[in-house]
Amino acid sequence: MDGDRTVNHLLDALDLPHESHLVICNGTLVPGDARLADTDVIEIRPVISGGS
Amino acid sequence: MIDLPRHNAKFCAEHLQQLCRRQMTKAIEDFDMLSPDDRILVAVSGGKDSLAVWDMLIEAGYHADGLYIGLGIGEYSDDSGGHVRRFADERGLALQTIDLREDYGYDVPTASRATGRVPCSACGLSKRRLFDQAALDGGYDVVVTGHNLDDEAAVLFGNTLRWDIDYLARQLPVLPAGRGFPKKVKPLVRLTEREMAAWCLVRGIDYVVEECPIAAGNRHLSYKASLNAIEANSPGAKASFYLGFLDRMAPLLVGRSAAAAGELNDCSRCGSPTTGEICAFCRLVEKSSAHEPVPVEMVLTRGRRR
Repeated sequence: MDGDRTVNHLLDALDLPHESHLVICNGTLVPGDARLADTDVIEIRPVISGGS
Repeated sequence: MIDLPRHNAKFCAEHLQQLCRRQMTKAIEDFDMLSPDDRILVAVSGGKDSLAVWDMLIEAGYHADGLYIGLGIGEYSDDSGGHVRRFADERGLALQTIDLREDYGYDVPTASRATGRVPCSACGLSKRRLFDQAALDGGYDVVVTGHNLDDEAAVLFGNTLRWDIDYLARQLPVLPAGRGFPKKVKPLVRLTEREMAAWCLVRGIDYVVEECPIAAGNRHLSYKASLNAIEANSPGAKASFYLGFLDRMAPLLVGRSAAAAGELNDCSRCGSPTTGEICAFCRLVEKSSAHEPVPVEMVLTRGRRR
């Protein structure tokens, strides 16, 4: 996916709710307005656990 | 750094930890959950919440041991157990383990098939009973679970949709000790899943990220998704819903849960409290241990989410 977008834009593009995901950029937790570059390694981590 | 819309702020690693500590301390104090001298047994699964609460309690100076129950859910359980053992070993923490298959002759997938219960029901029954028993046998003052704000809001949502007043009356972050039951508390009820995941990341806690394969697609998850959709448009809604319930509705239901409990006998097999002759756990063990082992793939639900 092309870079030069924010974390929030990325989550929106992938239709992933912000409240249920964290974004880790190059090993560091980043906020929603952080800008991402083409060379960045991104992990989108879901945080919702399924147990009741 | 993480943005937390419900606090209308971004937090660096240091201040995120400070926030989490304060919220846990407030929950403990507001609901009189723990005393400094309490011997605590933490129910640990390998997931972010149970490892985070164990980490936070130890850091705060509490005496807290862990108990992990191997549920026999294939590779997921193997992985979970590994995460728990590494966490405990790295920090020199006392960890007890129970393995359902080795110690009781069954596992959660088999119990589900043998009893006709949905897997989460068999799992919950087993865990509650075994955590209670371990706490009583070990002389622990209190059992701590990692239930967080998202968990409690989702349960509250479901109980409210059904207007299950008896369950609503019992949905409190502290369950006092009773005959055959230890005190149980939930110190993370003021913290969201996203905040707990962030705590683990900044603290270098390696937890199981993968969702339980049996839980995927269940109703509880759908409630969480609905609440998060509301939260996206109205930051703080989950906290307002749940904490407002505790503050304004729960007091009106005091006494109802005790009245609804009914008379309890001693289970004729194990002696634990039950409304019948044999408790639900003993009945589950009897049926499940006699059943041919069932692989987890046979109880996976249809149409689960990815």
